[in-house]
Amino acid sequence: MKKIFYSIFLFITVVSSSCSDQFLDVPVQGGPTTSSDPKLAERLVTGVYNSMLQGDSWGNGDVHGFAFLTVTSIISDDADKGSTAGDQQIPVGDIDNFTLTPSNRFAETLWSGHYKAIGAANKALEALETASISEEEKNKLKGEVRFLRGYFYFNLVRMYGGVPLVLRVPRDAADANSDLAFQTRATEEQVYTSIKSDLTFAYENLKVKSQSLVGHANKGAAGALLAKVHMYLKEWQPAFDLTKEIIESNQYQLVEDYATIWRQAGDNSSESIFEIQTGEFNNANLNINNYTTAQGVRVGGKGGWDDLGWGFNNPSTSLIAAYEPDDLRKNATIIFVDNSGEHHGTILWDGFRIPSSDSVQNLYYNYKAYASNSKENYADPGTKDLPKNIKILRYAEVLLINAEAGLELGQGDPTARVNEVRERAGLDDLGSVDIDDVWQERRIEFAMEHDRFWDLVRQGRAAEVMQAAGKNFVAGKHERLPIPISQILLSGNKLKQNDQY
Amino acid sequence: MTIFHAHSQSRRITGSVKDGQDGSPIPGANVVVQGTSKGTTTDLDGNFAIDLSDTESVLNFSFVGYKTSTVEVGDRTVVDVTLEADITMLADVVVVGYGIQKKTDITGATASVKGEELSKQPVLTATQAMQGKVAGVQIISSGQPGTSPQVRIRGLSTALGGTTTLFVVDGVLTDDISNINTADIVSMDVLKDASSAAIYGSRGANGVIIITTRQGKAGAFKINYNNNIGIRQASNLVEMANAEEYRNYVQAATGEIVPQSDYDTDWYDTILRTALQQSHNISLSGGTDKSTFLINAGYLEDEGIVIGNEFKRLTLRLNSDYKINDKVTLGLQSSYGSSENQNGFNNIDIDAFGNIGAVYNNAYRASPTIASKVGGRYGNTSAFQNVGNPLLDVSNNRVKVLENRLQGSSFLEVKPTSWLSLRTSIGADWKNSLNRVYAYEFRADENTFLIAGGNQLNPLSRLNVKQIQSFRWVWDNTATITKSFDKHAFTLLIGTTAEKYKQHWISALRKDVPPDENLWYINVGDANTSQNDGKGEAWSRNSYLARLNYAFDEKYLLTATIRTDGSSRLPGKNRWQQYPSFGVGWIASREAFMLDQNIFDLLKLRASYGKVGNDQVPTDAYTSIVTLNTPYAFNGSVSPATNGAQLKQLIDPNLTWESTTEYDVALEFEMLNSRLSGEVNYYNKKVDNALIKVPIFNTIGDDDNAIITNVASIQNKGVEVVLNWKGEINTKLSYTIGANATFNKNEVVALNGGQAIWGGSVGAAQGFTTYTDNGQPVGSFYVLKVLGVFNTDAEVNAYVNDEGEKIQPTAKPGTFKYLDKNGDGTIDDSDRVFAGSYQPKAYFGLNLGVNYKNWDFALSIYGNVGNEVYNGKKGVRIDGKDNIERDMVYNRWTSGSRSQTEPAANTGNLLASDYFIESGSFARINNLTIGYTLRPTLLERVRINSLRVFVMSQNLLTYKKYSGFTAELPGDPTNSGIELSAYPTTRTISAGVNISF
Repeated sequence: MKKIFYSIFLFITVVSSSCSDQFLDVPVQGGPTTSSDPKLAERLVTGVYNSMLQGDSWGNGDVHGFAFLTVTSIISDDADKGSTAGDQQIPVGDIDNFTLTPSNRFAETLWSGHYKAIGAANKALEALETASISEEEKNKLKGEVRFLRGYFYFNLVRMYGGVPLVLRVPRDAADANSDLAFQTRATEEQVYTSIKSDLTFAYENLKVKSQSLVGHANKGAAGALLAKVHMYLKEWQPAFDLTKEIIESNQYQLVEDYATIWRQAGDNSSESIFEIQTGEFNNANLNINNYTTAQGVRVGGKGGWDDLGWGFNNPSTSLIAAYEPDDLRKNATIIFVDNSGEHHGTILWDGFRIPSSDSVQNLYYNYKAYASNSKENYADPGTKDLPKNIKILRYAEVLLINAEAGLELGQGDPTARVNEVRERAGLDDLGSVDIDDVWQERRIEFAMEHDRFWDLVRQGRAAEVMQAAGKNFVAGKHERLPIPISQILLSGNKLKQNDQY
Repeated sequence: MTIFHAHSQSRRITGSVKDGQDGSPIPGANVVVQGTSKGTTTDLDGNFAIDLSDTESVLNFSFVGYKTSTVEVGDRTVVDVTLEADITMLADVVVVGYGIQKKTDITGATASVKGEELSKQPVLTATQAMQGKVAGVQIISSGQPGTSPQVRIRGLSTALGGTTTLFVVDGVLTDDISNINTADIVSMDVLKDASSAAIYGSRGANGVIIITTRQGKAGAFKINYNNNIGIRQASNLVEMANAEEYRNYVQAATGEIVPQSDYDTDWYDTILRTALQQSHNISLSGGTDKSTFLINAGYLEDEGIVIGNEFKRLTLRLNSDYKINDKVTLGLQSSYGSSENQNGFNNIDIDAFGNIGAVYNNAYRASPTIASKVGGRYGNTSAFQNVGNPLLDVSNNRVKVLENRLQGSSFLEVKPTSWLSLRTSIGADWKNSLNRVYAYEFRADENTFLIAGGNQLNPLSRLNVKQIQSFRWVWDNTATITKSFDKHAFTLLIGTTAEKYKQHWISALRKDVPPDENLWYINVGDANTSQNDGKGEAWSRNSYLARLNYAFDEKYLLTATIRTDGSSRLPGKNRWQQYPSFGVGWIASREAFMLDQNIFDLLKLRASYGKVGNDQVPTDAYTSIVTLNTPYAFNGSVSPATNGAQLKQLIDPNLTWESTTEYDVALEFEMLNSRLSGEVNYYNKKVDNALIKVPIFNTIGDDDNAIITNVASIQNKGVEVVLNWKGEINTKLSYTIGANATFNKNEVVALNGGQAIWGGSVGAAQGFTTYTDNGQPVGSFYVLKVLGVFNTDAEVNAYVNDEGEKIQPTAKPGTFKYLDKNGDGTIDDSDRVFAGSYQPKAYFGLNLGVNYKNWDFALSIYGNVGNEVYNGKKGVRIDGKDNIERDMVYNRWTSGSRSQTEPAANTGNLLASDYFIESGSFARINNLTIGYTLRPTLLERVRINSLRVFVMSQNLLTYKKYSGFTAELPGDPTNSGIELSAYPTTRTISAGVNISF
């Protein structure tokens, strides 16, 4: 007996002291690493597209969510904050009224959301370098990623001006901390140079729409975005040439019915150049958080109906007044709540009835953010937060960029371009156009499409228009958002604030 | 000669041996004639018979666990003896980890709480009953059924996660003891300082609590039954405005006239109830000198004071041991626990649909002018003000968490010689929990609500289940050598331990499941709506340990410990770490020069140094992990999305352990015939390499813009004072008084290049409320300072900075005037100031016990002082139609009152400021018990050995300054002390019996 026990103890001592290093090598369970996933590079490219769906506006990152629509639409003279007076006064009301400070939450989540997207792009580019795929495939994927990175930086430069230009993946925190690129601002010019380089690469390496997969960035998208960038930089010749090439490529045409563009049936239409795609994954909606909910018609007054959302981003009376009579685009862009006192309500295209104004919070809503529960297909129709594609670039914009560049250069036929857009809207042709006509056409054609505010800044008349709209806009300050205070503090003031903030 | 006389002179003595406490017979007791080896043992009924010669007249009665009794027989032929339990023997021994030690020999800071003290209180988790009993141990409880309180031993030792105290249940290491029936516990021993906890190395940084469960005793078969049945209510509610007060306030705030209503709803009244709570325990125990066993079955039910909330737990325990021979012992401690938690709105580790969690906040905000429920239909609060109807919130989901847990350990102990003991033990802990959430389908129409509309609805029913299974084993092997010669006494322990943990979870969701509970299975749902997920976790640890105890002349004590720990949770090069500790003690009262004095019965000085660690980092913290399922729908709604991947987290490949070094000095004494005893302890504990999520540049694109790394140093310094008094006025009246107090100062001594951390996010306009920065306690409140309230426009205009810029140009009379700390002419986050911490400066306990004849009385008080709490509920008032506290209606600023502490009627969305910070000091009568033990003579006829009846109250009275529900607000280090959806403290009044057969 004794011997047995002593042998046991001896055995235990030997066993337990021998193989401890192997015993402690426990890999992470259910956590693939860069080396354990052979299809990583391709997946990472899809992951870059995914990062456009960020809408954690009060949290960690926003690219196209509530924060995005606040700084592109609510901020402008085309839209009011909406909802109830007190709702989201901070941070949304502050942006609408230009009382925002460097600690504005939305200004911060847009910053971090875009850099997350850029980080995803940089990681995908890094992984593509070593991916075992054909050179042609590699360049195509790199083209898609660089298109997206160019787009993210274009948004950043329009929001904040020159920003830190991060084009690589840091090895670790120390690496990033020792590289000033992560914490000091590049000039606006440097950022634009990088954007143009990315988009040019994409333009040269991607195929035209008909030879590309639906929804992926293609040559047309890269060319159109590059043309838009040139327009912002007043580089009219390349803007004109690129748009001309796209027009002559015969890949695009305007759809007949303007109103259908923002319905599911209008997704990826003949007019679509680039859009943020939403749909379904894992039997659940795949959408941008709160994009439709934030803009959904909100109950008010007597109530008594299940409303569509929070009621933000209401088209302004100024926008409504800007439409010419009989412009078909007016009723396609704006939901007019019945305020006649006759209580007919408003019947939307799918038959849904919005009650009259005594049961609704405000009078005007964005029709382009309306998703139909009854006539469109969703994995989860039970939620108000339904998928909605955002049209980033449409053929109409190519026509109007071409018109504007042509006008500046005295080339092409600007009037014909503008009239092509006007005809679809059911308006009479103009005999000739000047720059104000093109700008007016842009305002109406792209109303509530996240373009107005940046367009005004580009045109150099933001202060004039905003102040006329009664906003507290300070010229030289409010063209840009403040750099997030948290990041300035984190950099030890190496990151500089925008003027006057 | 004696042989010759033996027969003729002997006489026969008979009698019985009984337990002095409950009168039960003691079989197997030794009866020995003093001065000889002659003796016998008692039979199963405790009876004995022995023959004595005429020179023999003294008998010694002894039995394990009892004091030996010596009886002069005299002329008697019948001798009945009662033996008293040897309490001092139990009390003097402390469980120290891989062994036990005499209390007087200990050189570190430990404390022990007896099981009887704990099981008196009707609580789920034993740590709750420890509150106020042990100096240096702060217990913070939310009071919700089914939750375990937070334990902080000697202050906060870390800022990131990893704050759980290590529990060692019969050798099994765990961080959750909610499966342990308090009635099963014989003692809880707390290893407070690093020198005592160093034997647990990297597991010891947050202190160690060792739980020893009851064993059967050799002797008669015993049955014990205890119960406790009572009612529970919210002990403190915030008074909200009634309908009329509400209407006045809202009109003043918004200018809107709230329509008259037939209702005046007190929302708390509608969702709270008087709850029943009960517990029952029945234990069977017994044994022989070869083997003992104990079987205990316990049942606990706690309804919860919120409608629909209920917790039930069944526990079974079997502990037994068996002596194969003098040298070899085998044993088993095993427990099974099964619990069911319905609609508990805490930590549901599942994609809950949230409404249960929103109940409290909604009840706080909902308008009193809306009906709760009339004729089966609900008042529509969300149509009125965008707040869900709280009564519907508690009814529209069913959340159920079922947990089954098997935990146990078995050991084999061999003592080949008197000085050597070899022991191997294997412990295992298997846990399976099934979480189920069902969301009922209902629409915002007139079937559900009195009026249609609003956004409180769920158009499609959903069923979500999640199963989590975990298993861990731990294997300890130790050898203990105990040797004494001359005045030297040694105990040397060496050992190895290995531990492995694996966890696996899966979840599934389907929609459109009928409301019949019998159909709440995944197969019933619409397969087109299926979603599922799952993941795993695994880690292992391996350690070598040694401890030497040396005592010279029973006066000079030395303890030295070393543990070498390896953990899979850390990268290879930082994987192994040593944890040494030393302690010395001097029992001065045993010195020759002290022998003549009669002031001190014990006077002991001790000092120690030790190092412990904390490796509680997420297992994937140092590995770069690909996040799959970041898809994109390239073809919009036409076809399902393509799967994608992202590398979201930047990692620190050089992660290492948090290490704690602690110095501890103490004086222990007993005076006045040991009636007064006490202890004064000073400690200084410093944590280096503290893991912290350091913010990194957002430009890196990291998912949470932070990285886990070892940068900070945190210090806790403190003093603990313990005083106990035992008094016996006469044989009928005796009493005990125990008092303890702990003073702790927590400070972030250095961030060492790391960045301060914002925490305590409250939401709405408030943003963050805490800031963890150099020179401040972890998680200190950091908010704007309110200077007062503007009375006039002139005051607004006069409030300018040095350059004459108006600081609050948009302010109106009745709004707060905030300090412009940096003088830049605007009020923003850079104007925040430190405004105290949720960590108390001191906490204390007072425990009183009185025995008078058959009556017993016990009172325990707990409290803390010097901490602050953040009234987050007030802070998230975001709409002009949200309800307000009644106090706000009457104390608010008006042009007449000109209050400088309360603003005018407003629509909420106030900035985070010290207006929301209130004193968190409180004192509470945790427990008050009155019991009566019936006399044995009354009970003999019904074959009951003892019977005690009692009434008690848990949390009878709370004295606090805080205006919210409770100042006791657990949370992680940077997010504590904020009341958002806290469960109110409950008061219990109950009665029960303890019966022993």
